[in-house]
Amino acid sequence: MLSRRQLLAASPSTLPLILALSACKGPAVLSAPPTVSPQTQMLLHSVTAELNLIWIYTRASAAYSGLAATLDPLRAEHAAHLTELRSRVIEPAGRPVPATVTARPALAGTQAGVLAQIRAAEQAAVRTLMSRLSGASPSLAQLYASIAASESVHVTVLNARIGG
Amino acid sequence: MGTPSATASAGPGASPGAGAGRIAALQGALAAEHAAVYGYGVAGAMLAGRQQAAARAGWIAHQRARDTLETMLTALGATPVAASAAYRLPFAVTGGASAARLVAALEHGVTRAYLGVVAVNDASLRSFGAQAVQAAAGQAYAWSGNTEAFPGLPGTQS
Repeated sequence: MLSRRQLLAASPSTLPLILALSACKGPAVLSAPPTVSPQTQMLLHSVTAELNLIWIYTRASAAYSGLAATLDPLRAEHAAHLTELRSRVIEPAGRPVPATVTARPALAGTQAGVLAQIRAAEQAAVRTLMSRLSGASPSLAQLYASIAASESVHVTVLNARIGG
Repeated sequence: MGTPSATASAGPGASPGAGAGRIAALQGALAAEHAAVYGYGVAGAMLAGRQQAAARAGWIAHQRARDTLETMLTALGATPVAASAAYRLPFAVTGGASAARLVAALEHGVTRAYLGVVAVNDASLRSFGAQAVQAAAGQAYAWSGNTEAFPGLPGTQS
């Protein structure tokens, strides 16, 4: 082991030799950026899922103005879900939180078809959130469960509209 | 709603105090169910027709949930919390409208309590709690007509 004094006294030309003789490994090579933990990966997927739901609500509301009174309040709740999920992303530093819609399905050709399409998307979202519970921290599990409950109520609202 | 094994294995990172955490969360849910059983009885007396039938169905559902929780707690070696002889209502229930508001408030309480079960580090209990949260949130909507962005999570921006 070299002392700090020996290192400071070494010239640039002799430092490599001293390091080699003293069995020092030298400075560590910069490692790759930290990988995203599975929990964060799930959180980022949840953000994207909400973006996709908001996109289809927005398109449906624009295409069928008669549905806006039903769909807009539900879309607002998805926007709240998105905000909360994004606020929970704390790692890795500097990595952008998703802001891009990844699924842009064609809208069904009728109002009833669109409602059924959105209902199916909500049901799938509930199933996905439920599947994420076991790998989440207690706080995130509560958030996923609460959002799943909100979205299951959306299914009820859509059922009533389809039935009515 | 499925009933998880009371001796379900803890998930990764479970601490030695995990059993106590399970019991505390289940006791919280049971206390909320006791309150719901009492409150549905009060509300049902003020309702009529289809609303009364719905309240009766809810009353029975909460009794079943109470019994399930008591069984789970007993299997964990705990003594289930008992119901209080009476509960202070959050507001006066004087007719159908306030009775419906009471039922919605009870369901909100049940929703919050089962979110406590979701926080337990046990996969089967989390799933059980989350299903109960969905059921209670659905009932709260049925009685209030209002949807929520974050059922059971007070203070979350909605």
